[in-house]
Amino acid sequence: MHFFNLGRAAWRRALLWVLLVVPGLAVGQQRPGPVATPADSARLSQRLQRLAEVRVRAVGPERFAVGSRRFELDSAVLAQYRGANLADVLQARTPLILKNYGPGQLATIALRGTSAQHTAVLWNGLNIMLPTLGQNDFALLPVGANTRVSVQPGPAAALYGSGAVGGAVLLNNDPDWRPGVRGSMQADAGSFGLLGGSLEARAATPTVAVRVAASYRQAHNNYSYLLREARGPVRYTLRNAALRHQWSISPDVAWRVGAAGEVTAAAWLTDADREIQSGVNVTGTQARERDQSRRLVLGYRHVAARRQWAVRGAWFEDIIDYRDGGAPSNSRVRTTQMQAEHTAALGARGSLRLGAEAQHFAALVGGYGSQTITENRAAAFALLRYDPQPALRLSANLRQAALPAGLAPLTPTVGLEWDLLRTDNDSLSYSLTQSLTAKASAARSYRAPTLNERYWLPGGNPNLRSESGFGAEAGLRHRLGWGRATTLETELTVFRQDVDDWVQWLPATGTGIWSPRNLRQVRSQGLEASMALRQRRGRYTGGAQLAYHLTDTRKTQGTAADSDPVGVQLAFVPLHQASFSTDHRWRDWLLSGTLAFTSFRYINASGDDFLPGTGLLGATVGRTLPGPACTSLLVLVQAANLLNQAYDSYPGRPAPPRTVGGSLRVSWK
Amino acid sequence: MKKQFFFLFAGLALLAACDPKGPDVVVPAPAPTTGVFVLSEGQFGGGDGAVSVFDKATKSLTVDAFGSANNGAKLGDVVQSMGVQGNRGYIVVNASKKIEVVTLPDFKTAGTISGLSEPRYFTSTSATRGYVTEWRGPFTGYLPGVLSILDLTTNTVIKSVPVGRNPEQLLALDGRIYVPNSLDNTVSIVDEASAEVTSTFTVPDGPSSMVVDKDGNVWVLCSGFVTYLSVPPYTLTRVSNGALVRFNPRNPTSQFKLSFPGTSSPGQLRISPAKDQLYYAFGSAEYQMSTAATALPTAPFIRRSFTGFAIDPRDNTVFAAVTPSFTNNGRFIRYQPTGVAIDSFEVKVGPNGFVFY
Repeated sequence: MHFFNLGRAAWRRALLWVLLVVPGLAVGQQRPGPVATPADSARLSQRLQRLAEVRVRAVGPERFAVGSRRFELDSAVLAQYRGANLADVLQARTPLILKNYGPGQLATIALRGTSAQHTAVLWNGLNIMLPTLGQNDFALLPVGANTRVSVQPGPAAALYGSGAVGGAVLLNNDPDWRPGVRGSMQADAGSFGLLGGSLEARAATPTVAVRVAASYRQAHNNYSYLLREARGPVRYTLRNAALRHQWSISPDVAWRVGAAGEVTAAAWLTDADREIQSGVNVTGTQARERDQSRRLVLGYRHVAARRQWAVRGAWFEDIIDYRDGGAPSNSRVRTTQMQAEHTAALGARGSLRLGAEAQHFAALVGGYGSQTITENRAAAFALLRYDPQPALRLSANLRQAALPAGLAPLTPTVGLEWDLLRTDNDSLSYSLTQSLTAKASAARSYRAPTLNERYWLPGGNPNLRSESGFGAEAGLRHRLGWGRATTLETELTVFRQDVDDWVQWLPATGTGIWSPRNLRQVRSQGLEASMALRQRRGRYTGGAQLAYHLTDTRKTQGTAADSDPVGVQLAFVPLHQASFSTDHRWRDWLLSGTLAFTSFRYINASGDDFLPGTGLLGATVGRTLPGPACTSLLVLVQAANLLNQAYDSYPGRPAPPRTVGGSLRVSWK
Repeated sequence: MKKQFFFLFAGLALLAACDPKGPDVVVPAPAPTTGVFVLSEGQFGGGDGAVSVFDKATKSLTVDAFGSANNGAKLGDVVQSMGVQGNRGYIVVNASKKIEVVTLPDFKTAGTISGLSEPRYFTSTSATRGYVTEWRGPFTGYLPGVLSILDLTTNTVIKSVPVGRNPEQLLALDGRIYVPNSLDNTVSIVDEASAEVTSTFTVPDGPSSMVVDKDGNVWVLCSGFVTYLSVPPYTLTRVSNGALVRFNPRNPTSQFKLSFPGTSSPGQLRISPAKDQLYYAFGSAEYQMSTAATALPTAPFIRRSFTGFAIDPRDNTVFAAVTPSFTNNGRFIRYQPTGVAIDSFEVKVGPNGFVFY
């Protein structure tokens, strides 16, 4: 666990920081007030191991996800991509599978080979998957809106509820309690009409912390591409692919009430107006889509010595208005969510969280008729964490959801982490330290039918069952440290994920009306390997990350109506994905490089037509110049697809050639 | 450590470069009289519609004849139909709004007719004169379509003649072009010489395909209407039943009519090479009916739903296309003239028609 080599005093400072920044994470621990001193140093030192764990893992529910792989995009990376959307940063920096229709166009994720609807996206602990489609468009989630982005592949539905079959993407805004005012403003410009700007401002007093982030982006995306026609290759300019505008505003505030309470309020408003590129072989369409989301959450958290409780209420409104020359297709869904949870310490080594949540959806969708459709869902969960000894950590969770069509599958989760090897370092020497941890988890998961699947006219199927998943993973995590300067972390995970009652839309015999049905079983298995080297020496900090994913996903069984062949790698799931990124900071300079490899992807279930493999190189160069009165100016130049590879990101959707962009950021503190 | 990184990295680069081999085997084009062209729509948006060439003599199949003959060029989005005039093939590509002209039997490009609206079906009356039906307007509110008159020497549109909504499978007969307007209840007659609509006559709702029999009578298959249009509540309601109509071209308003039950919509009227047997699809089955019959048959010819159906004029072999879904490849099945299955072959997504050459 130790990869920071800190003395006792430093530990206390770190501990205090943890407690201040992420209150409520250290369960069973007295949270000191802003002016309180750490209570009982003896007790604190007993808790060091566990708190170190929290320090690394960072957020609440993950404490109960023992043994599950998880990785985070660190704040330095997020800062580099702050004008971009989540799809851009995940594609450049991780070997995750995204199905992308082009820059700014629909981009969906396929964690561990599962479908877009099998990845839960949570914002501040609340599921923000579109209730109509049951998925998220990652092009509509600007990076700068949130302070922390982490990805937890693997089933964790007992923690995150419906949709967390392939995994979960967690977006969080953590309050910054560092006193004072700080902020930055950025302007971006780039190839093919890209213009953007963003702003972030934070202020904190001992009792109130405020943050506002806002961003704007537009792009013509009028790049040229080569189409192989019968008369030979012909160069065209991409049409009807512009991002006309994309706004995001996300203010949040945290307010400490008394010694143990904290009120948080956050909002996230996004608005995008896009032309929809319908494939370069489809002539003359002029489809456009307006996507607007308004998300508000209000929460209260109480943290006492041995217990903690929290309540949250949220209201979301998601609007999709699509038109393509025909009658417009409009959709508006309002979601109201309530969550309550209570966490109690079980002795000195365990904690138990009990909670419940309820969701109410009100959907006014053209495809459902002229009436507003409402649906309620509820769930109760119990999360148990128990560490028999510091080197052995266990968790066991249970969740039961009630859906309009009946109970969802009961979803248990179990997890284990065991430190097999640990050589503690001497804080004064520069000797080698290392730790080796074995981890394993298994979980059942589910996906509730979406509103479209239940209510679409014609074809909606109210009798659709929830999809159910069973997944297991196991692996090793190795950490190696050379003194304070260098760490190397290696992680290897193998996984298997089964999904049963997988839903497909098929035309009904006789009427020909497309309708969703529970048709098939899919098995995904593979491995995830990663290696991260970090180095800090004098005025240099830097590192390199290499990651590789093998994802073998096939239909294993289907009903007679399901004509897709068994045993063929699923469409748009590449067998191999790899990413390499390297970041260096020396004095005022910043240099980054990214390489993302994707092997070929089949474009349909038959497994013969495919998109070829790609290797995409990106780079960033930056320099920070000091300015007057605690200000600084960052000049950033970024390039993507440096090798100028011509490829289709999706059939009929040519990806951009080499692009170059520049950013200027003024920061103050 | 760095070295290890680069070693791994190079290995991964090799993995990524390892794409499967494409279907690059070019089968020699079949000699005339044994070729069958199988049309596949492809997946919408992917531009991967195809015409496969099947050689009856060797049972060999070139899955994408156009791509194979033209340096891997994509045919386009939604291959709708194909017509033949002499040694020229005219492949109508609906969403790409064009007709690809190829020489036969080698499928080398011989031009492109572009500037069309939503082209559907092609026919020709000479080496210089072709016709194509085109839909107009969005799917939520179709406008009256056109019959475009094509100059096949220059591959251009000479004139677009307004007809009814959603004109479909046209028929050229005795200097006239019969255009069934499938979203109306009319057939437009365009005079070849004047290039004008000379008359429009009424038939039952939804005329979509036409054939002419051995006695010179024209048969029109009308699908009838069901509404589930774009307005809520989208309920599927039958407005009118399908009908099979026969008339003498000299007196098209005097019609012999056979009505279908309202359980399904008939479609895809075909005729045997001897022009004495009609074939059509109805309710997940294919039916056969004599042109002398006075009532619709009750027993199906083949109890299966097809997305394309044709009879080879050279030996009466039946070719039927099967589209299990648009997420995987389709196939075609060959049947004896008696309806007994012979064999089947896999083609690209969405097979919908056959041309015998």
